[in-house]
Amino acid sequence: MSYLSKSDIVKYACTCGQLKSITNMYFCRHCLKLRCGYCVCHEVDSHYCSNCLEILPSAEARLKKNRCQTCFDCPNCLNTLAVRGTTVSVRDPDDPSKVNSQKKYYHACFFCRWTTRDAGLPDQAVQTVSANGWTHKETNSSNVQRVTVLLERARLLGTLERHEREQREKKFTPRSRRTFTHLPGVTSAHVRKRAGLPPELPAPSTIKDTLAEFQPAVAKESVNPLPEEIFTKAVNLFEITTMPQRLAQPEIQPVFCVDLLPAYKHLSTKRSQRCRECEHNVSKPELNPSSTKFKIQQAAYFHVPEVRLVTAGALIGGKDTEVVLLFSNPSQHPTTLSFISLREAEEEEGNKQTEDTSDLADQQGEAASSLSSLTKPAVVLEEPRPISIKVTGNVELPSPDAEITLPPKDDAAEYDYSGETHKSHNDPKWVMHRRANKAAVSFTVTPETGFTGKRCVIGFVLRYTYINRIPSPGSFDQKPQEVRLDTRLFVDCGKICSK
Amino acid sequence: MSSLSSHDSKPKHDLKIHSDAVVCHESKLRGDITIGTHTVVHPRATIIAEAGPIVIGDYNIIEEQSFIINRLSPDADHSKQVVMEIGNNNVFEVGCVFESPKMGDQNVLEVKSHVGPNVEVTNGCIIGTGCKLRGTEVLPENTVVYGRDCARRIALDRPPTQGLQVDFLSKVLVNYHHLKKPRSANT
Repeated sequence: MSYLSKSDIVKYACTCGQLKSITNMYFCRHCLKLRCGYCVCHEVDSHYCSNCLEILPSAEARLKKNRCQTCFDCPNCLNTLAVRGTTVSVRDPDDPSKVNSQKKYYHACFFCRWTTRDAGLPDQAVQTVSANGWTHKETNSSNVQRVTVLLERARLLGTLERHEREQREKKFTPRSRRTFTHLPGVTSAHVRKRAGLPPELPAPSTIKDTLAEFQPAVAKESVNPLPEEIFTKAVNLFEITTMPQRLAQPEIQPVFCVDLLPAYKHLSTKRSQRCRECEHNVSKPELNPSSTKFKIQQAAYFHVPEVRLVTAGALIGGKDTEVVLLFSNPSQHPTTLSFISLREAEEEEGNKQTEDTSDLADQQGEAASSLSSLTKPAVVLEEPRPISIKVTGNVELPSPDAEITLPPKDDAAEYDYSGETHKSHNDPKWVMHRRANKAAVSFTVTPETGFTGKRCVIGFVLRYTYINRIPSPGSFDQKPQEVRLDTRLFVDCGKICSK
Repeated sequence: MSSLSSHDSKPKHDLKIHSDAVVCHESKLRGDITIGTHTVVHPRATIIAEAGPIVIGDYNIIEEQSFIINRLSPDADHSKQVVMEIGNNNVFEVGCVFESPKMGDQNVLEVKSHVGPNVEVTNGCIIGTGCKLRGTEVLPENTVVYGRDCARRIALDRPPTQGLQVDFLSKVLVNYHHLKKPRSANT
């Protein structure tokens, strides 16, 4: 299983130029491109507490500083605290000879064994402890006030900035948005929402007034002198908090371990990922926090042929060696693979781009006037970054016309232990063996000279056929289309030896 | 089964097990070992008295795959015996390694923890999961070692004793395992 999450031997080049393993990428089924975590829009779907699994609406979560109100983190090691119950025997106030047993609850960390008793907090009579009983220890409340002021200022600055940005954009966007307000039941707020704009903001002048009242922190010339014993007394590290412990509680920032107080647990988020180009979701989790399933999950692992390194011979600079790669087809349709060198692919790409640029200009002019531009913010397309990997080995690829076909993935074949590694009759000789939806292919690799001791990285373009079942919006042709897609691959074959 | 037969072939006269102790037959005990009353030794636990006798107190739980060894270091004086003493109410969890010659009472060695030969464990200490102590030191009472960086703190109390767990194990283990017979009657 670790190869799924940790492997960095075979890297795929994302559309944005990032190199990632296939398990870390998405595949947009609408624009038929690979997407990685850096080139998708991350959206927070819901806030939830990972301990009590309660969902909070985002407004409420913000109000509560993104913390759960019932669960606590250990102030000592920052893991979750658990409630523990004990029975305490209490003397009956009426009859001193009688002893009553009473159930009491306290919080304990199962990891570092910190308990609320360590902090001198009294045991609670109820299981769901509210922190109100604990906050009385917060003597140093000046920090709390300051933090609130700073948060408010940051929020106002954010609003102001948004205001300015909107003003800037207004100059260029057509005012056609206003025209919808004459429709019954459609308010201006509604239109703003439809257009993907934030709700109407308070006037910037009022914000500026409030901001002017803010008092920035002043650097003081005179500070309190250090206590006498600081140089003479040995420091007992068991009594003093560490920096992470202090920073986890900005309100009190305790110096001594005795002053540590349980902190409200941080909320977790469920996020969905959206393709930046076509705005379709590539990943959307189920809302229920206890569910680990997804409503939409277009992981590249389900669509793009997976490549694994099987064996590599001795890698010596300038000497030919055999490298075997295993290709497997994860999709439900047969796919045809062919290989192109990186240089050829670049030339093809260059030709295509010169043709495309003229088309794109036409389209954009058209789109600006249409209604769709109102509902969708303009797509920001970035140039793909250059690939940051040095290719240190030449790979001899079969000719681009030579193709191998992989059958679709068959779940039942996983349990077929007959072990047949038959070769199809029409396979070229560089196909070593096949089994179900997999085929092992042999390549001849020549590591470059002068890279002894470095990793031998080979690169090529994998061209595969993909059945696109999503009809393009313009055409009425509902039939699945077969398309050819390219992806750049970089394989780390191992260390180049001297002899 | 080969491991079982090897147990039988070994001379056992050094082994002293108190009559109330529960020592499973599949555990591996080598050398001069004394096991106190109500102590539970799970199957596949290993106790090796190499450099000298090992004396284990009462109400201890020694879980599976734990490894207690009174190790004979190569440069040590072979004529002198080092006695390893383990107190009462200690818990040795799965896969822990204990090499120190001294342990007090009510300590917990969590899963896969390691206590080296020069660490003296006093009372009420907890060595957290995967924590490795290999230096030379005396742990203060109620020390808790936890986390990836072996962070430390001093707890307020000792960890609770596992009396109920000892009782339960002494009842249950007997039903499914052969026990090593106590030899206190003969000695």
